[in-house]
Amino acid sequence: MSNCRHNPLKPYPATIVKIIDETPDVKTFQMVFDDPAVMESFRQKPGQVAQLSVFGVGEATISITSSPTRKGILEFSVKKVGMLTSALHCLEPGTKVGIRGPYGNHFPYEVMKGKDLLFIGGGIGLAPLRALIDFVLAEENRGDYGKIDIIYGARSMDDLCFKYDILDRWPQMPGTTVYTTIDRAEPGWEGHVGFVPAYLEEINPSPENKYAITCGPPIMIKFVLQALEKMGFSDDQVITTLELKMKCGIGKCGRCNIGSKYVCLDGPVFYLSQLKQLPPEF
Amino acid sequence: MKAYTITRDNLGAWLDALARDYTLIAPVREEESVSLFKPVSGFAEINLGYTNSTVSPKGWLFPQTEEMFFFSTGGDQITLADAQTPGPAVLFGLRPCDIKGILALDPVFNGAYQDCYYQKRRQDTILVGLSCTRVERDCFCTSMGGGPTDGGGADLLLTEIDGGYGIEVLTPRGEKLVNRYQQYFDADRENRVIPAREELGKKLAGHFTRNVDTTGLKEFLDQHFELPYWGELARRCLGCGICTYICPTCHCFDIFDQSPDGESGVRSRCWDSCMFSHFTRMAGGHNPRPTQKERVRNRFLHKLKYHRDRYNLDGCVGCGRCVTRCPVNIDIRQIIADLQEVARHE
Repeated sequence: MSNCRHNPLKPYPATIVKIIDETPDVKTFQMVFDDPAVMESFRQKPGQVAQLSVFGVGEATISITSSPTRKGILEFSVKKVGMLTSALHCLEPGTKVGIRGPYGNHFPYEVMKGKDLLFIGGGIGLAPLRALIDFVLAEENRGDYGKIDIIYGARSMDDLCFKYDILDRWPQMPGTTVYTTIDRAEPGWEGHVGFVPAYLEEINPSPENKYAITCGPPIMIKFVLQALEKMGFSDDQVITTLELKMKCGIGKCGRCNIGSKYVCLDGPVFYLSQLKQLPPEF
Repeated sequence: MKAYTITRDNLGAWLDALARDYTLIAPVREEESVSLFKPVSGFAEINLGYTNSTVSPKGWLFPQTEEMFFFSTGGDQITLADAQTPGPAVLFGLRPCDIKGILALDPVFNGAYQDCYYQKRRQDTILVGLSCTRVERDCFCTSMGGGPTDGGGADLLLTEIDGGYGIEVLTPRGEKLVNRYQQYFDADRENRVIPAREELGKKLAGHFTRNVDTTGLKEFLDQHFELPYWGELARRCLGCGICTYICPTCHCFDIFDQSPDGESGVRSRCWDSCMFSHFTRMAGGHNPRPTQKERVRNRFLHKLKYHRDRYNLDGCVGCGRCVTRCPVNIDIRQIIADLQEVARHE
């Protein structure tokens, strides 16, 4: 009966090698497993999550924001909101942590081949999308995908995550357009001002041969989905990734269910058509 | 399958031997109307006259609090050490509903990700069932596909018969256990054990005070998530969580760290409950099940629908514990009947 060669609830020791201050309350942690063999065998797919341990404090489920095409390192962008994330924010490079995973399904990057991709993110919601953006923009994959459009917004200039990507690196990539917006005008910002859903309607992208992938605050997602529907995107062309409270990450502890689906096993990535089949309990 | 008989005296001697050779977990009468499964040192501590333990025996396989591993962060290193797990054990005197409860937990802790803690205990534990001799007021196992003498899932099944007990061997592991202690057993030469058990089952089937029909209920719930009924039911619920605590199939847990000095400590898990608001509340404050209505609905849909969707097994075995202990008399049998009534009017 038992086939327990590996205990999935026991994390692998890892070290924080670098911390990037993204915004006043978001930091990106670069982590490396202490055992090179574990680093080598950890094969996440874009959209998957992991459980981060701060020993003595606990664990939290965090999306892996680095692309699997980037070898030898994992990146987690973490907003300081709760007990574990606050503890993480206090850590220094060199601190030992734990990582287990990867968990959940992933963005359907195989199905997306040959298509244009429209990414719509708000705030820290860009973190899970970034794994897929960098995956499709990676040299070895770029030819498999069409035009890449990225619409990203935050409350203020300070609150924009991954400024080095959205303002610098991604706009220079071939066939890639980045549209950035902040909620209210402020000195020093010459870009677009307004909420993400409104900006999306203004840009008015065609749904033809395209997938739209969105993540952000629930209220943003709600209006983005409405806008996409208005533009003619079908429910099978729209993909989002959900966040619910999780403990085990492996479908046993019972709290991340939406109906009979567990977000940790059956999600976090869902087509809008799948979401519409689920009870509205997320 | 083979059957044996054992006299009362020999049963006592056998249990004393089991307590010597294994960790023996058996029903113990704690005080008036409270019985619990606990490790015992011999027959004298065991209460075989119980009908249904107050808390289900799942806690042996999935402890209320379980240490998972120890961590220490001395110097530049972090060291993780596995917690000790108990060795070979015999879980003795399981009522048929509780055996079925274990069968309902098995696929949860199995699957693509094996839960090593549960699996290790499950593998190391021999299950000995005990046919019921009485039906309690709140028992309804026959409504949930079980029966008071249906021991399927155990390794051995004991049934009280004239002058002692009959023992049916249900698995090779059960056979091995009997062979190891064969001096206590007599072969069932007259083939009376199985007929006696079947007769008892038939007799007890007529003793249930309340039978409910779940026919078509899951199919109705598949189509109806929003029902005013859940709001009405939730108005009574205190959210105390006792139903989940004593339930043989509830498996939700929390994971937590304890570290007095901040450098070394233990990570454990403990039972949690979908009845509590913090169960699903996220760090940022959003709660997908914000009121007792969503929480009550989740618990009963888990029992009547979700567990079947995922594992093709009923999430309720009809033990009746939640019916007995609920402080505001929420009765899953009544809920099933009410939902059938709602379905008829839809």
